[in-house]
Order: sequence, then structure tokens, then C-alpha cells
Amino acid sequence: MKRRSTERMLNMLVWAIVALTLSPVAFMVYASLSDYNDVVTGNLVKASFTPHWSNYREMWVNVDFLAFLRNSLVICGLTTLFATVLAALAAYSLARFKFRGNHPFSVAVSTTQVIPGMLFFLPLYMLYIQLDDAGLPMMNTYHGMIFLYTAMFTPASIWIMRGFFVAIPRELEEAAIIDGCSRLGAFVRVVLPISAPGIIATASFVFLLAWDEVFFAWVLTSSPDVQTVPVGLRLYMGQHATRYDLMMAAAVVSVIPVLVTFFASQRWFIKGLAAGAVKG
Amino acid sequence: MTAVSEPGLGALVGGASRASAPRRRKFDAFPYLLLAPAALMMVIVNLVPIVQGFRMSMLKLNQYTLSQFMGAPFVGLRNYRGVLFDATNPVHAGMLGALRNTALYSLLVTLCAVAIGLGVALLLNRDFPGKAAARTLLMLPWVVPTYVVGTLWGFMWQRDEGIINHVLVDVLHLMDHKPFWLIGSNTFFAIVIPTVWRAWPVLMLIFLAALQAVPEELYEAARLDGANAWQRFVNITLPALKPVIVIQVMFQIIDNVYSYNIVAMMFGKGAGYPGEWGDLLMPLLTRQSFSYWRFGEGAAVSFVMMAVMLVFVAVWMRTFRRSMTDEA
Repeated sequence: MKRRSTERMLNMLVWAIVALTLSPVAFMVYASLSDYNDVVTGNLVKASFTPHWSNYREMWVNVDFLAFLRNSLVICGLTTLFATVLAALAAYSLARFKFRGNHPFSVAVSTTQVIPGMLFFLPLYMLYIQLDDAGLPMMNTYHGMIFLYTAMFTPASIWIMRGFFVAIPRELEEAAIIDGCSRLGAFVRVVLPISAPGIIATASFVFLLAWDEVFFAWVLTSSPDVQTVPVGLRLYMGQHATRYDLMMAAAVVSVIPVLVTFFASQRWFIKGLAAGAVKG
Repeated sequence: MTAVSEPGLGALVGGASRASAPRRRKFDAFPYLLLAPAALMMVIVNLVPIVQGFRMSMLKLNQYTLSQFMGAPFVGLRNYRGVLFDATNPVHAGMLGALRNTALYSLLVTLCAVAIGLGVALLLNRDFPGKAAARTLLMLPWVVPTYVVGTLWGFMWQRDEGIINHVLVDVLHLMDHKPFWLIGSNTFFAIVIPTVWRAWPVLMLIFLAALQAVPEELYEAARLDGANAWQRFVNITLPALKPVIVIQVMFQIIDNVYSYNIVAMMFGKGAGYPGEWGDLLMPLLTRQSFSYWRFGEGAAVSFVMMAVMLVFVAVWMRTFRRSMTDEA
């Protein structure tokens, strides 16, 4: 009997934690549907609440948020694609082959995780300016951002995917090679399909990281044709007043792509965590 | 156990990757070809800029010399001395406060996030109706981008129109007046709490996965021996989770030392000064390098931070290497 009631108490505790944890998100949605006058006066919690859906119309007009959203989707989407492909190749190499340079490269991959962005910002900025002058525009371009992000997020992806490849029994490839597959063929036709959960987990992880990048998005882009969501979100802060109602609506919108990505890949993602492959 | 397949930074101290192909006499280009694209990217975006960044940290860079870039006057270690110790150096201003905040912030966020993550993982590691739903819902803060965390909480902490003061004062009557959260020493908590809020859910998920891998028989046997819940936690759960906790604590500390987005988004328009108690090293460095065009000093501090973190990681992995391989 006592045990049953303890269990019930613990369950209630869980739901209390869920409620407390979700309250800021709930507030974000609530504020995004509130009237501007209530938002600026702090008169938010009212007995009669009528949702102001018009905020979700006005937010696209007040700031051209659609452009920022499109830029983020293109840049982060292609970054995810490239980083996952590059990382899959490199991770397979590190996981399967013993060769001179395997260990030093692994160390280099790890070291990239503790490099502050500030350290390579200016050299990279200067490189981009030089390339601009040489006739290859990099600054304030999609491909300039995608190139940088791909390089930034490839090392972490290599580590995640390496864990998946190590776990695959090598007999599978050996059998494929005996059957006449080339080594690349064995990788593409045998290894990649069974590592699909790992690849999906890695890809969604890269997308989440890229979507969250702020510093380089600020310093390497200058026009709304290329600038990403975090830059656009700030524009609701005006000279005199901040349109918190619209800003919260835009914040809700900018959570949606990552939310969809997470829920779509959740099954594999959690499996990836169980395999100890995804870092926090 | 799980964490060992994820040596990550562990490779820095010789956690050699387990490549098991038979040694070939003949040179084999295949692994190099697979590696080449990623390696090329890392050379262009990481290696070359870092070598340049190191060089830059010894150049006198300001608005007059910036266009010469690598040709700017060489000043040796003067940038390091200036930015770390010289009170008249513009980039130095506020550095000690930001250093103190960064240290406290990293430790406090890591401690809270790991403790809450572990506690909730234990709560969820039981069978109860709606378990999967609770787990999924609890992950929600983690999918909120950090820049949204900064703007959202920056709004919630507002003194007059913020929801937090409204709840604390008008609804719960816990205080009789509305405090400033974004001014003064309260700022520290204003940046710690949102960071913890976003960080713990993913730790919970990782710990939960690790908990599910602990064999149930161990608990059965301990119960038969008369061990109580606390004893089972200390003697079975904690040792089983140690490798995962060790790795996650390290990642958390690295993430938090380099934390930038939340502070940058919460105060003003990116260049806003978060005040003495809200400033961290990365936001300070970015703000001051850009406003005074002193990128040499910016590179110098970045380099010191990177060196400190590399030493931390090496010492950490060396200390805990045994406890991590024991589980393998």
C-alpha cells in the first residue's frame, strides 16, 4: 500500500516537473497571441483572453521574416547534407582502417571542439575578403556560409558517426567484397544502409547545431538575402519600442523547423543516444 | 559501456581509435581518399586560420593597421600582457569580472544541469502511464534554439512587464516589490537559470538511456541483500553511470565556458552591456574586440582560453580514463 502511494507521488512529481519545464514555452506561445498593449504594460494574465492571431500575420510584414527563414532553411539544410556526407566518409575511414595519420587526425578532430570562434573569425573574414577581391564572392553569400558551417560541424559529426561504424561487424563488408563488391561499393551498399539510424541521428544533430549558430551569422552576412533567423529576430527590437508580441510569434516560428526535425528523427535520435554516440 | 564508443576529446590524451584492419605492407590510398574532403575543409577553416590567429595574437591590430592584417607591426607577447594585466587596455576592462562570472557560471550550470538531468532520469526510469509522453515533452526546451532562449527569457525577466515578476509578486506574493533581474547581481541568475533550463533535458535523455542499460539483476541481488534505495543508488546506479557522467560534465563545462548566444541575445542589440554580473568571456571579448577594433588582443585571450581548455580536457580524461575503460 505504502509503495503504491509513493509511486503515485512520484508520478505527480514528474507531471509537476513537466508543467514547470514547459511553462516558458507555453508563455512564449501565449505572449505571441497577446495584444501589444497588454504585452508592453505587463497586463498579460487576464480572465478573458482572446488570441490575437493577427500577430502571426503582422510578423511577416513588420520584418521580412520569411526571407530570414528561407535563408536559414537553405543554409542549414545544405550544411546538414554536406557535413553528413563528409563526416560519413571520414568516420568510416577512422573506424575501419589502420593507417598512418589515423590517430593524429582523430586528435585534430577532437581539438576543433575547443577552438573559440573568435580565434579564427578574423583570419576567415580576411580570407573571404581576399577571395571576394579575387573574383570569388564569399562574404554575404549562401555558399560562403554553407562552406563555413559544413567545416564547423563536420568534426563533431565525425565523432558521432564513428561510434556507429565501429559497432557494425566487419564480416558484413568482407562478405560483400568476396561477392565481388569493391570496397567503396561495400561501404555504399552494405554499411550505409545499416547505419541509416546513425546517419539520421547525425544529420538532425547537425541541423540543430547549424540552426543555433549566431556569431558567424552576425559577422559574415550583411543583407537580408543571406542573413539567418537569429539576425531577423533582433529586428523586432525597434529604436524606441520592442514588439515583443511579434518577436514571440517569430520565436515560435523559428522553433518549428527544429521541432519538426527532432520529432521526425526522435526514434533514431534516442537510439543514437543509447548507443552513446550523440554528445549533449 | 556506452561512453567508451565516444572518446571524442579523449583522443587528445591517447585514447587511440580502435581501427582493426590488418596492417598492410603496401601503401593503401583508400582510407586517405575517404578522409580527404573532410580534412581539406578542416585545413582551410580550422588549421590555417588558427595558425594565423596565433600569429595575429602577437600583432598590433587596430583601426589603422587592420587593413595590413598579417603585415601589422609585430609586438610579441605584449597583447597578452596588455589584455590580461594592463588596466588601461580597452579590451581588458571588465575582464576579471567576466572571468569570475564564466567560472561560476560554468560550474553552477554544469552542476545543476547534471543533477536535475540525473534526478529526472531516475524518476522516469520506472513504469508509469504516459512515460513516453513525459519524456518527449521534457525534451522541448532542448529544441528551442539558444538565441530564442535568450530573447524569450530576456522578455520574461523584464522588471515591469515581465511574467516572472508578475508571478512572483502579483500572483504568489513571494516578494513585496518587483526586483530588477537584468540589473545588478541578479543578472547572474538571469543567465544561469535559462541555460540550465535548456541544458538538462538532453542530459536526462542520455542518463535515461544509460540507466536502461544497467542490468536489473544487480538491483534484485542488492534488494535480497537488504540494501535500501539510497544504497542501491550509491553502489549500483552511480558507478554504472560514472563513465557517462564524466563525459557529459566535460562537454557541459566546455559548452558553458564558450557560452555566447544566451547572453548576447538577452541584453540589448548584441552590443548591449550585460553589466558586471551578467558578462561572460566570449560576449565580452566579441563586444570589445569589435568596438575597439582590437583583434590582436581578442585572439590573445581566445588562445589562452583554448590552451586552458585543452589542459582541462587532458587532465580530466587522464583522471577518469580508468573509470571509463573499466566499463568497456
